[in-house]
Amino acid sequence: MSFLFGGGNRSVEGSVDPAKIEMAVAELDMITDVFNRLVNSCHAKCISQNPSNHRYVEGDLLKGESVCIDRCTAKFFEVNKKVGERMSAMGSAAQATGSFGR
Amino acid sequence: MDFSQFNGAEQAHMTKVIEKKQMQDFMKLYSGLVERCFNACAQDFTSKALTTNESTCVQNCTDKFLKHSERVGARFAEHNAEQMQGK
Repeated sequence: MSFLFGGGNRSVEGSVDPAKIEMAVAELDMITDVFNRLVNSCHAKCISQNPSNHRYVEGDLLKGESVCIDRCTAKFFEVNKKVGERMSAMGSAAQATGSFGR
Repeated sequence: MDFSQFNGAEQAHMTKVIEKKQMQDFMKLYSGLVERCFNACAQDFTSKALTTNESTCVQNCTDKFLKHSERVGARFAEHNAEQMQGK
Protein backbone atom coordinates (compact mmCIF):
# COMPACT_ATOMS: atom_id res chain seq x y z
CA MET A 1 0.00 0.00 0.00
CA SER A 2 3.03 2.27 -0.17
CA PHE A 3 1.47 4.24 -3.02
CA LEU A 4 -0.93 5.82 -0.55
CA PHE A 5 1.68 7.36 1.64
CA GLY A 6 4.20 9.96 0.68
CA GLY A 7 7.57 8.93 1.97
CA GLY A 8 8.90 11.47 4.42
CA ASN A 9 11.74 10.71 6.72
CA ARG A 10 11.81 13.12 9.58
CA SER A 11 13.89 12.72 12.67
CA VAL A 12 12.22 10.91 15.56
CA GLU A 13 10.98 13.44 18.05
CA GLY A 14 8.03 14.00 20.38
CA SER A 15 5.82 11.44 22.05
CA VAL A 16 3.32 9.03 20.55
CA ASP A 17 -0.34 9.86 20.99
CA PRO A 18 -2.11 6.46 21.16
CA ALA A 19 -5.47 7.90 20.11
CA LYS A 20 -3.98 9.40 16.95
CA ILE A 21 -2.24 6.13 16.12
CA GLU A 22 -5.42 4.18 16.72
CA MET A 23 -7.34 6.43 14.34
CA ALA A 24 -4.65 6.12 11.68
CA VAL A 25 -4.53 2.32 12.03
CA ALA A 26 -8.32 2.11 11.78
CA GLU A 27 -8.24 4.22 8.62
CA LEU A 28 -5.46 2.09 7.20
CA ASP A 29 -7.40 -1.09 7.94
CA MET A 30 -10.50 0.34 6.31
CA ILE A 31 -8.64 1.35 3.15
CA THR A 32 -6.98 -2.06 2.94
CA ASP A 33 -10.33 -3.78 3.42
CA VAL A 34 -12.00 -1.71 0.70
CA PHE A 35 -9.12 -2.39 -1.65
CA ASN A 36 -9.25 -6.14 -1.07
CA ARG A 37 -13.00 -6.19 -1.60
CA LEU A 38 -12.56 -4.17 -4.78
CA VAL A 39 -9.95 -6.62 -6.09
CA ASN A 40 -12.15 -9.62 -5.29
CA SER A 41 -15.38 -8.16 -6.69
CA CYS A 42 -13.86 -7.02 -9.95
CA HIS A 43 -11.90 -10.25 -10.33
CA ALA A 44 -15.13 -12.22 -9.97
CA LYS A 45 -16.92 -9.96 -12.46
CA CYS A 46 -14.25 -9.34 -15.07
CA ILE A 47 -11.76 -12.16 -15.27
CA SER A 48 -13.13 -14.77 -17.60
CA GLN A 49 -12.36 -18.39 -17.14
CA ASN A 50 -12.65 -20.62 -20.14
CA PRO A 51 -16.29 -21.62 -19.61
CA SER A 52 -15.89 -25.15 -20.98
CA ASN A 53 -13.27 -26.31 -18.52
CA HIS A 54 -12.87 -23.42 -16.08
CA ARG A 55 -9.20 -23.09 -16.79
CA TYR A 56 -7.03 -20.10 -17.32
CA VAL A 57 -5.79 -20.25 -20.89
CA GLU A 58 -4.08 -16.86 -20.81
CA GLY A 59 -1.70 -15.23 -18.32
CA ASP A 60 -2.17 -11.70 -19.62
CA LEU A 61 -5.21 -9.53 -19.12
CA LEU A 62 -7.34 -9.58 -22.24
CA LYS A 63 -8.34 -6.24 -23.75
CA GLY A 64 -11.95 -6.72 -22.69
CA GLU A 65 -10.92 -7.68 -19.18
CA SER A 66 -8.79 -4.56 -18.80
CA VAL A 67 -11.65 -2.33 -19.93
CA CYS A 68 -13.97 -4.20 -17.59
CA ILE A 69 -11.60 -3.68 -14.64
CA ASP A 70 -11.45 0.07 -15.27
CA ARG A 71 -15.23 0.34 -15.43
CA CYS A 72 -15.68 -2.02 -12.51
CA THR A 73 -13.43 0.03 -10.22
CA ALA A 74 -15.10 3.29 -11.26
CA LYS A 75 -18.50 1.76 -10.62
CA PHE A 76 -17.40 0.36 -7.28
CA PHE A 77 -16.35 3.85 -6.14
CA GLU A 78 -19.65 5.26 -7.30
CA VAL A 79 -21.55 2.61 -5.35
CA ASN A 80 -19.30 3.29 -2.37
CA LYS A 81 -20.21 6.97 -2.53
CA LYS A 82 -23.92 6.36 -3.04
CA VAL A 83 -24.17 3.94 -0.12
CA GLY A 84 -22.25 6.39 2.03
CA GLU A 85 -24.65 9.18 1.11
CA ARG A 86 -27.71 7.03 1.80
CA MET A 87 -26.31 5.90 5.11
CA SER A 88 -25.49 9.39 6.28
CA ALA A 89 -28.97 10.52 5.20
CA MET A 90 -30.47 7.68 7.23
CA GLY A 91 -28.19 8.55 10.11
CA SER A 92 -29.18 12.20 10.20
CA ALA A 93 -32.86 11.32 9.81
CA ALA A 94 -32.58 8.90 12.70
CA GLN A 95 -30.79 11.50 14.76
CA ALA A 96 -33.54 14.03 14.05
CA THR A 97 -36.27 11.67 15.25
CA GLY A 98 -34.14 10.35 18.07
CA SER A 99 -34.35 6.75 17.00
CA PHE A 100 -31.72 4.66 15.33
CA GLY A 101 -32.23 1.24 13.84
CA ARG A 102 -35.80 0.87 15.00
CA MET B 1 -3.77 9.19 4.10
CA ASP B 2 -2.18 12.26 5.48
CA PHE B 3 0.48 11.95 8.14
CA SER B 4 1.59 15.56 8.01
CA GLN B 5 0.09 16.24 11.44
CA PHE B 6 2.14 13.44 12.98
CA ASN B 7 5.30 14.15 14.89
CA GLY B 8 8.50 12.19 14.30
CA ALA B 9 7.82 9.51 16.90
CA GLU B 10 4.31 8.94 15.60
CA GLN B 11 5.51 8.73 12.02
CA ALA B 12 8.15 6.22 13.02
CA HIS B 13 5.51 4.20 14.85
CA MET B 14 3.18 4.27 11.84
CA THR B 15 6.00 3.14 9.55
CA LYS B 16 6.45 0.08 11.78
CA VAL B 17 2.71 -0.60 11.81
CA ILE B 18 2.56 -0.30 8.02
CA GLU B 19 5.53 -2.63 7.56
CA LYS B 20 3.89 -5.23 9.75
CA LYS B 21 0.62 -4.91 7.86
CA GLN B 22 2.40 -5.21 4.54
CA MET B 23 3.89 -8.49 5.69
CA GLN B 24 0.46 -9.72 6.79
CA ASP B 25 -1.08 -8.56 3.49
CA PHE B 26 1.58 -10.42 1.58
CA MET B 27 0.91 -13.65 3.46
CA LYS B 28 -2.82 -13.20 2.92
CA LEU B 29 -2.27 -12.56 -0.77
CA TYR B 30 -0.18 -15.71 -1.01
CA SER B 31 -2.65 -18.01 0.71
CA GLY B 32 -5.57 -16.37 -1.09
CA LEU B 33 -3.90 -16.90 -4.43
CA VAL B 34 -3.16 -20.54 -3.64
CA GLU B 35 -6.81 -21.09 -2.77
CA ARG B 36 -8.11 -19.19 -5.80
CA CYS B 37 -5.86 -20.94 -8.31
CA PHE B 38 -6.21 -24.35 -6.71
CA ASN B 39 -9.98 -24.10 -6.92
CA ALA B 40 -9.87 -22.85 -10.49
CA CYS B 41 -7.23 -25.22 -11.81
CA ALA B 42 -6.99 -28.47 -9.86
CA GLN B 43 -9.53 -30.78 -11.47
CA ASP B 44 -7.98 -34.13 -12.00
CA PHE B 45 -7.46 -36.28 -8.92
CA THR B 46 -6.38 -39.45 -10.69
CA SER B 47 -2.79 -38.44 -10.03
CA LYS B 48 -0.84 -36.78 -7.22
CA ALA B 49 1.13 -34.53 -9.52
CA LEU B 50 -0.29 -31.51 -11.31
CA THR B 51 -0.97 -32.29 -14.94
CA THR B 52 0.65 -30.12 -17.62
CA ASN B 53 -2.68 -28.38 -18.18
CA GLU B 54 -3.17 -27.75 -14.50
CA SER B 55 0.27 -26.36 -14.04
CA THR B 56 -0.10 -24.01 -17.04
CA CYS B 57 -3.44 -23.00 -15.57
CA VAL B 58 -1.88 -22.20 -12.19
CA GLN B 59 0.79 -20.11 -13.85
CA ASN B 60 -1.78 -18.20 -15.90
CA CYS B 61 -4.08 -17.83 -12.91
CA THR B 62 -1.28 -16.35 -10.79
CA ASP B 63 0.01 -14.04 -13.53
CA LYS B 64 -3.45 -12.86 -14.35
CA PHE B 65 -4.45 -12.20 -10.78
CA LEU B 66 -1.31 -10.19 -10.08
CA LYS B 67 -1.84 -8.13 -13.24
CA HIS B 68 -5.48 -7.67 -12.29
CA SER B 69 -4.57 -6.54 -8.81
CA GLU B 70 -1.91 -4.19 -10.18
CA ARG B 71 -4.42 -2.56 -12.50
CA VAL B 72 -7.03 -2.21 -9.76
CA GLY B 73 -4.31 -0.75 -7.53
CA ALA B 74 -3.46 1.85 -10.17
CA ARG B 75 -7.11 2.87 -10.54
CA PHE B 76 -7.48 2.91 -6.75
CA ALA B 77 -4.47 5.20 -6.37
CA GLU B 78 -5.80 7.52 -9.10
CA HIS B 79 -9.14 7.68 -7.35
CA ASN B 80 -7.49 8.46 -4.02
CA ALA B 81 -5.36 11.17 -5.59
CA GLU B 82 -8.47 12.78 -7.09
CA GLN B 83 -10.21 12.55 -3.73
CA MET B 84 -7.27 14.24 -2.00
CA GLN B 85 -7.23 17.10 -4.51
CA GLY B 86 -10.96 17.64 -4.13
CA LYS B 87 -10.58 18.27 -0.41
